[in-house]
Amino acid sequence: MKTDVDANPGASGEPTRPSRRFSKDTRNRLAAVGRHAALLLWTVVVLFPLYWIVSMSLKPPREAISLPPDWVFLPTVFNYLRLVQESSFIAAFANSLFMVTASVILVLLIGVPAAYVLSRYDIPKQRDVLVWILSSRMLPPIAVVIPFFVIFRSLNLYDTRIGMIFMYVTINISLVVWVMKAFFDGIPEALEEAARVDGATRFQGFRKVVLPAAKPGIFSVAIISFIFAWIELLFGLVLTNNRAVTVSMQVYQFIGVRQIEWGLLAAASTAVILPVLVFVVAVNKYLAAGLSFGVVIKE
Amino acid sequence: MSTLTETKTATTSNLARAKELWNEYLPYWFMTPMVLVMLLITVFPGVYDLYLSLVHYELTNPATMGTFAGLSNFRAAFTSAGALHSFGVTLAFVGGSLALETAFGFVLAALVTGVKSDRMQAFYRVAFILPMAVAPVSLATIFRIMLNSEVGVVPYLIATYTPFVAPNFLSDLPLLTIILVDTWNWTPFMFIIFYAGLSSVPDTLVEAAKVDGAPLWRRYVHVVVPYMKPVLFVAILIRLIDLFRTFGLVFSLTRGGPGTATQLVSINIFEQGFKFVDLGVASAIAIVYLVGIVALCNVLIAKVGFDGVWD
Repeated sequence: MKTDVDANPGASGEPTRPSRRFSKDTRNRLAAVGRHAALLLWTVVVLFPLYWIVSMSLKPPREAISLPPDWVFLPTVFNYLRLVQESSFIAAFANSLFMVTASVILVLLIGVPAAYVLSRYDIPKQRDVLVWILSSRMLPPIAVVIPFFVIFRSLNLYDTRIGMIFMYVTINISLVVWVMKAFFDGIPEALEEAARVDGATRFQGFRKVVLPAAKPGIFSVAIISFIFAWIELLFGLVLTNNRAVTVSMQVYQFIGVRQIEWGLLAAASTAVILPVLVFVVAVNKYLAAGLSFGVVIKE
Repeated sequence: MSTLTETKTATTSNLARAKELWNEYLPYWFMTPMVLVMLLITVFPGVYDLYLSLVHYELTNPATMGTFAGLSNFRAAFTSAGALHSFGVTLAFVGGSLALETAFGFVLAALVTGVKSDRMQAFYRVAFILPMAVAPVSLATIFRIMLNSEVGVVPYLIATYTPFVAPNFLSDLPLLTIILVDTWNWTPFMFIIFYAGLSSVPDTLVEAAKVDGAPLWRRYVHVVVPYMKPVLFVAILIRLIDLFRTFGLVFSLTRGGPGTATQLVSINIFEQGFKFVDLGVASAIAIVYLVGIVALCNVLIAKVGFDGVWD
């Protein structure tokens, strides 16, 4: 799987060039050192802001923004206790968790079978259909939200969970179809044909043979869909008021109203990051496969 | 699936017939819900936006609401300095972010792919994906705190440990700052796709190039990149589309300011629609914007082509 395309001549005998100042061994070692130096530098760039927000949330209010920063401090859960007392935050958190999870299940139920058909059957104008599906992602959310704002108000869907779940489905449907189609493309058709020969119906072939084989893809596309819905701000901002408020919206309101309470803000931000962070670390292997859009699997 | 459950109480022959129908027309059952949802989320907003863009629709002015406006909303969309300015800001933001994210994503993916130890590779992979998990509002919070000229750790570190004077990022360099923050946030997306793509380049190809004495850069330009073209294309296309949609991050980081320095089109539309409550003009801008993006994507797809990507 690994392709070492970088400075690693290895055993494969690169023609020796007398003009090189260092031996091949030394050059390899230097390249490895340089590589890790660059990668560690980026690791610091990535981790520092995350470390900063978490450490801030664990500091007592006075220390939170002191400069020079207290690199060593006694962690406290004070900010998190206050966050829990903010009943509206917990409610929004639970609300988001419910709505996002429901939307992911729904978008999979709608998108996965469609992707299967797009992969296995000759659809007229297949390419146009795929581009049409992708085009739903080209509409700026704000252009989507205005019509739905008006229609939701007249259908009594404004500020409801059902309305928000539907909106989350609209964000993710194109991603699910595109990624899952690539996954199904990578699963040999011979598998289902064998099942059909053994007397399975079309549906059984799909459910008992194809679906299990596509599990990593379904898993990863579910995670990605979860992330995209979980971090969504605009729909919550425009389409909810208090019953269906999202966690992003809660934090957004903290930014405006409680600018001074850095610790509380940091704790809220950490709380929003946490579920997805846990997910990503737990399933990063599948995530890589899922985001590759089936490229690896096609191999 | 309902076809199956509904017939449970029916006679066996009916059940068998239903099963037969279910299987015979499986592709149709499977496609229908998606097509319905797609119609609802593309045709309905499109048509409704078009309608709104052609009528007066100021929530503060109910008397004229719904009356035909001709093209006056479009005139407002094109002549208001704010709208034109926001198109420019968006192009700069999308171009800058896309270039940085593609470059960083590719270099990082190439570097990680070359790491010998599997455990170190896994470590870098997890670490590098993390920023994607951060919600825009959290991200905005983090960077607003870290970049703040009074309490921020970044200006402090610059002032203390480097010979430079720390700029006031959010007020002096707002556009550059949102580009850099977005790069921090979304380089992982490019990284992970390129990483998977690089893993799929056959060893033998690269080895052959090595044996022929091709130096590192030639191996990339002539072997690796051509092989990965479909991956690069899909990644860049999807990221491009998503960059044009950017709202949450910039809105919570700068609210489009200071002034209108970071007012993306999506923020401009939001302000027109919900601050100035003129849905007519907001929709007109949205229509112009959408047509522009669809045209751009179609040109890209036609130029670069789909071949090798999806068939």
